[in-house]
Amino acid sequence: MTRNQKLLADTLKATRLWRVWTFLGVQDIKARFRRSFFGPLWIIMTTAFFVGGVGMVYGLLFGQAVHEFLPYLAGGFAIWSLILSSLTDASGSFIRAEGYIKQFSYPKQIYLMRNLVSYTIVFLIGILVLIPVQLFFDQFVLKGWLLAVPGIFILLLGTLGHITISAYVGTRFRDYPHAMGVVLQMLFFITPIMFPAEILQQKGLSFIYQYNPFYYLIDVVRHPILQNEWALSENYIFAVIYVLVIWTAAILIAYRLDSRVVFLL
Amino acid sequence: MTRAFINLQNVGLNFEGQLSTYEGLSGWWKRRFISRKMSAPSSYRIEALKNINLKIQHGERIGLIGLNGAGKSTLLKVMAGIYPSTSGRVEIKGHVCPMFEFATGFEMSQSGWDNMRIRGMLLGMTPDEIEARLPEIAEFTELGEFLDYPVRTYSSGMFIRLAFAVSTSINPEILLIDEVMGAGDIAFAEKAKRRMFKFMEQGKILVFTTHNFNLLEDFCSRTVWLHKGEIVADGPTSDVVKQYSEEHKNI
Repeated sequence: MTRNQKLLADTLKATRLWRVWTFLGVQDIKARFRRSFFGPLWIIMTTAFFVGGVGMVYGLLFGQAVHEFLPYLAGGFAIWSLILSSLTDASGSFIRAEGYIKQFSYPKQIYLMRNLVSYTIVFLIGILVLIPVQLFFDQFVLKGWLLAVPGIFILLLGTLGHITISAYVGTRFRDYPHAMGVVLQMLFFITPIMFPAEILQQKGLSFIYQYNPFYYLIDVVRHPILQNEWALSENYIFAVIYVLVIWTAAILIAYRLDSRVVFLL
Repeated sequence: MTRAFINLQNVGLNFEGQLSTYEGLSGWWKRRFISRKMSAPSSYRIEALKNINLKIQHGERIGLIGLNGAGKSTLLKVMAGIYPSTSGRVEIKGHVCPMFEFATGFEMSQSGWDNMRIRGMLLGMTPDEIEARLPEIAEFTELGEFLDYPVRTYSSGMFIRLAFAVSTSINPEILLIDEVMGAGDIAFAEKAKRRMFKFMEQGKILVFTTHNFNLLEDFCSRTVWLHKGEIVADGPTSDVVKQYSEEHKNI
């Protein structure tokens, strides 16, 4: 069996084992909050604290109306957290599963899917925080949430690509999570999350977000939920292009490193 | 029913890596400026398996013998698909059930019950099968109320009981066992032995490593002797065991 045949066969087999990785992913969430008093409520509280604190200050700073700015922040923060986990935490996917990888014969890809499951759960809880906020400001429209579904789908595909790259590269180069942490911390401040993209536009600095692929991943989810309309069609196009690029990279990386992972643990 | 088989042709496996003293920035510094004149190697390369040819048919039971470090466990891991071979062809038909370690692969903060579920799934059981067998597995472990505790509170012996009970509760096709009787305290050992033997009977193919010749003669007609990653002898158990004992008589 050649290398790409093996990778393909493993991936297909991993897909069929969905019950295994779903179970593992849900267990991870339970384990993460075991023995903590508030449990998964922490996911909501993290967003709430961030939005509460930053919302006040930045709202004043950028002259934003609270009823628009708080949902904007909460949405952006939940999506950003997903991107952040998929690029930093995910680099430990194989390393944390070492005990399993070295003694069971299942394809390694189930440990990628396991992370996708747990990150998705955290993300969904985080983004659902928006609903009470929207209800409070009397902005909740179901249609907006339905229009966000394709965007969420694109975002999750991108997340799986991120996880794959991080898991393989992070196993080979242990500097990876640290490096990504540094880069993403910087990107957090220049991506339109804590401020609206229009502010950059007004200052003639549009290129700062236009060249930032994460902006498109965020916008295709956030814009429909907040504005009850589709995001700009070019934003969907850019998001999809980014996902395709990431997947191509992920496949090439997996192809190169898949057979070496077990020796690198 | 499919016929299980294992077919290894000219299989070789190398382990390569960097020695930890020469890792990272400090290692680079050392290599560059300090130990320049020293010819100490900074990386290693071990031929763990060399030119292995092995055909195992449906219904065969095979014992692997050899000194420590001969490549027995590595060969089992190649058969299990855990280690990809560096060269040669590996063909395996049938669901592989590896029993290698009882001491790793636990979720420390989760209960014994959840760990039994996870282990069962990773060994190929469906969730329904696991739920149906949980009471029997739990009873065998004799861990009682400890199963509700997070496993980080367990002693090493308790880990072994848990892992052993789950691993031996499945229906294996190809059963690969490293160190057949490496498990269990005295009280548990007799019970574990009986269960293990019953379990070994079920596999359509059984390959196991052992240092116990009685076990070899009881269980398998064919034995493979590995030495430094190569097959030295492959044949009827009594012949191979005889050769092996001759060779190591003096030790």
